[in-house]
Amino acid sequence: MKGIRFRGCMVVLALGLALVLTPPAAAGETYKLGLSLAITGPTSDAGNPYSKGVEDYMRLVNDTGILGDAKVDCPIRDDMYETAVTKRNFEDFIDQGIVLFLSYATGGNLALAQDFDEVQIPVIPASFHKGIVDAAKYVFLPIASYSHQYVGLGEYVAKNHKGGDLPKVACFIHPSAFGRAPLEDFQAAIAAGLKMEIVEVVEHGKDLDNSALLQRLRSKGVQYVLCQTVQSPVVTLINDSQRLGLTAQSFGEEGKITFLGAHYTGGNDLIALAGSAAEGFYWTTSYRLTSEKGPWTAWQLDLAKKYGRDEKTANSHNYTNGIMAAQVAVEAIRRTREAGQEVTRAALYETLNQMNGDKAYQPLTTVGPVTYSATDRMGVDTLQLYVVKDGAFRAVGEPFKPEYLK
Amino acid sequence: MTYFLQLVVSGIVVGSIYALSALGFVLIYKSSRVLNIAHGQIIAGGAYIVFALTVWAGVPIFLSFLASMAITFFLAMSVERIFLRRLIGEPIISVIMVTIGLMSILDGIIYLTPFGSLNFSFPEFLPPTPISLGGVSISWTQLVGVVITAILIGAFSWFFKSATLGISMRAVSDDQFASMSVGISVPRVFGLAWAMAGLSAAGAGAIIGNITGLNFETLRAFGITVFPVVILGGLDSIIGAVVAGIIMGLIQQFAAGYLDGNWGLNGTADVLPYIILLVILLFKPHGLFGTHEIERV
Repeated sequence: MKGIRFRGCMVVLALGLALVLTPPAAAGETYKLGLSLAITGPTSDAGNPYSKGVEDYMRLVNDTGILGDAKVDCPIRDDMYETAVTKRNFEDFIDQGIVLFLSYATGGNLALAQDFDEVQIPVIPASFHKGIVDAAKYVFLPIASYSHQYVGLGEYVAKNHKGGDLPKVACFIHPSAFGRAPLEDFQAAIAAGLKMEIVEVVEHGKDLDNSALLQRLRSKGVQYVLCQTVQSPVVTLINDSQRLGLTAQSFGEEGKITFLGAHYTGGNDLIALAGSAAEGFYWTTSYRLTSEKGPWTAWQLDLAKKYGRDEKTANSHNYTNGIMAAQVAVEAIRRTREAGQEVTRAALYETLNQMNGDKAYQPLTTVGPVTYSATDRMGVDTLQLYVVKDGAFRAVGEPFKPEYLK
Repeated sequence: MTYFLQLVVSGIVVGSIYALSALGFVLIYKSSRVLNIAHGQIIAGGAYIVFALTVWAGVPIFLSFLASMAITFFLAMSVERIFLRRLIGEPIISVIMVTIGLMSILDGIIYLTPFGSLNFSFPEFLPPTPISLGGVSISWTQLVGVVITAILIGAFSWFFKSATLGISMRAVSDDQFASMSVGISVPRVFGLAWAMAGLSAAGAGAIIGNITGLNFETLRAFGITVFPVVILGGLDSIIGAVVAGIIMGLIQQFAAGYLDGNWGLNGTADVLPYIILLVILLFKPHGLFGTHEIERV
């Protein structure tokens, strides 16, 4: 009887000790993520600062204990902007057991959309092509899509165009799925009542001189050129426009051309490459810029300084872009842990889908909150318009949401 | 009429830059019958040397330009000495494969530097106001580009026609064994051809970089962009590169000016040069000015 009582006491003691000493389910864990992007090759001028943004924020998370005693491990692989390499990287990451994938290009995301859904892994891309969300339900765009950006620019043109005539616009786009991404929605917005006329859609090449194009557009009465491409072609376009005396000195100046562009056309690199020709270039994105002073400026510059980044990287909007994608991923992990759930792909997917209402996430890096739901997988819905003034991008008005695209 | 003249001027500007970029291909092919696939990387390298000397070392840009040509002259010569010298006499496909390998190595080296993934631009050193005449405008950058192209092409043409070394290079191009039998050093000629191609590539890189900004992908793409120019002109003809460059430049501008945007057409400026290239090659398979070799057995 004594023996039985003793053994009973030992069992209770062991259970008690087990309860006291067993750490919470998630403590001390390392969560594996993966980033595949173009650090070399085409578009690496955007991919390079983006990767540094992701890397620095992940280091910050581990160094300052944003996830308590848990860590994140996010290896970064160069895919050289080649879909085949992206696929190989992704499959390798999956074999390593990642819980969330940070992806990059439009082409790669569209090609892997089926894989994302099959593996059921949440994906945060650097591409803002709305079609990716339509193709894969596990993709969460960090900010407003190219379509929203493009329609947003169109709405600004329609609202601020002087004169009673219909504003005539030309679409200057990259010859790829990335460039064509917003066209359909833009045309739909016009059909739905956005007051403007698309005179021409120009898929650019590697042009050294755009005189013919610019003069042709001007002869057709085009007053606004909306760009959806990368910086380099925009630089030659606005340089040539300045040389030909076609650049508007004020928004919508009669007889001249006003240039506007979506996220990947702008940023400090545009100003560095185009110099004075960039003055008066209108640009939209959902990110805050370091040229606009605020609490985010000091925070981003401190982060860059902490990890030894140069000034060019620290002030790049694509550095901000990378930081923000990492912020969303880490916030999803933090919330999942906080809810006492195991951090798995399925749990992160659910957490991201619940990121709305009073659970919306407000990072310092964007002009609006990040909201997702089962029917909305576009993070920041708001956009900010900027214009180049005295060699820096300056905010124009308040953040806005395009009205013609829901 | 003003519109037409502007297209002509723009076509000549673009064509001149094509011609200068194509020159490197021609110089190497002319003497060694080798197509250097890594030419675009040398163009980019030349532009970056000008930038580094000007912005980072504080050397005046005109001196940087000359220094860059001198540096690429010796770098290209070294490349020939290290990688290609031992392939003399080997099948031509082996040599071309080496230049493909060289392209990857140069890509890798440039990617290790900030130039591989960041954009840069030259400081403005020419007046920003364009030169306008009767409604036709040309920027100072473009004008300087055309002048430099003309000087370099003139110098190379004279060199091949009149200088002893140039004539030796032509002789090697015609027949290596016969050249050796009269005492010409074939390896030295090959080295010199690469060096001169490096020099012309640096010039082209600096001019293109001034127009488009320094973006590695844009710069290295010129190695491929000018390929139709080289083929059209004839692989071994300097004058062919000039004529074909200007033809291509004009076709692109006229296509962009008169065809694109009309009758539902778009992008003809990119396609038309290739169509015309194919048509001309049907009738002149060696290009407009290429040497037509007849072998008698």
